[in-house]
Amino acid sequence: MPRIQPLQRDEIRDPELLELIRRGEALGVPDALFPRILARVPGHAKALLCALLVSHAEGNVDHRLKEIIRVQLARTAGDPYFGGLRSSKARQAGLDEEKIAAGAGKFENDPRFSAAEKWALSYAREMYLNPENIDAAFYAEGKRHFTEAQIMELGAFIAFHYGMQAFSRTLGAVPSPPEVT
Amino acid sequence: MALDPDKVDASFYGELRRHYSEEEIVELGAFIGFNIGYHTFFGTLKFYPMFAPDGRLVSQEESARIYGAAPASLAAATK
Repeated sequence: MPRIQPLQRDEIRDPELLELIRRGEALGVPDALFPRILARVPGHAKALLCALLVSHAEGNVDHRLKEIIRVQLARTAGDPYFGGLRSSKARQAGLDEEKIAAGAGKFENDPRFSAAEKWALSYAREMYLNPENIDAAFYAEGKRHFTEAQIMELGAFIAFHYGMQAFSRTLGAVPSPPEVT
Repeated sequence: MALDPDKVDASFYGELRRHYSEEEIVELGAFIGFNIGYHTFFGTLKFYPMFAPDGRLVSQEESARIYGAAPASLAAATK
């Protein structure tokens, strides 16, 4: 049971918020639980959910790579809620659990990842474990693989999702089971 | 939340409820999480405020000298 009670579905009436919750459920990240907790402050909920969805599922960096990074970050944050969710879009694009698990492990010598993917995975891991390692030389290496716009997209995605995972961990939330309709 | 998240447990939330509504706790938690995520990212980018405490537009090099590597409040910087 989360430490802040989520609102019931019928307590949420804002159509824009309901649409964002629907989009999250369709993607699989987040499911309805975290949005219903955020819904206690609807203005915040709409901005935060929009940022979660746009940063994860839109943009010019491969969504499958972002999904691997997102799960890696949840493990760094110790958050079982976001760590237990999976993107249906990434799965449909061919991402499997084996590669997700590899992204949170010793990916440096794993031939399944390109040099660009390894840099992005290091970017996420080092950001919150060893931020001093993300120096000018690290960014220069990133620019060999990604445009500046893509690096900003990755950095903002990593920062935002890690921040929400840090909050989610304290809520004691876990992914909600499918609802029987 | 940032340094010792295990301490933010059920009893911690119980104590928070003595001072804040559930709505305020969600607002605080999301705000804190957002800042935990972004300030570390910003730190890796090495950028500094555009303006000096007296309102002058300054170069990033001068701003780094004024504000230093460690975060400081504006009040402390103007003393």
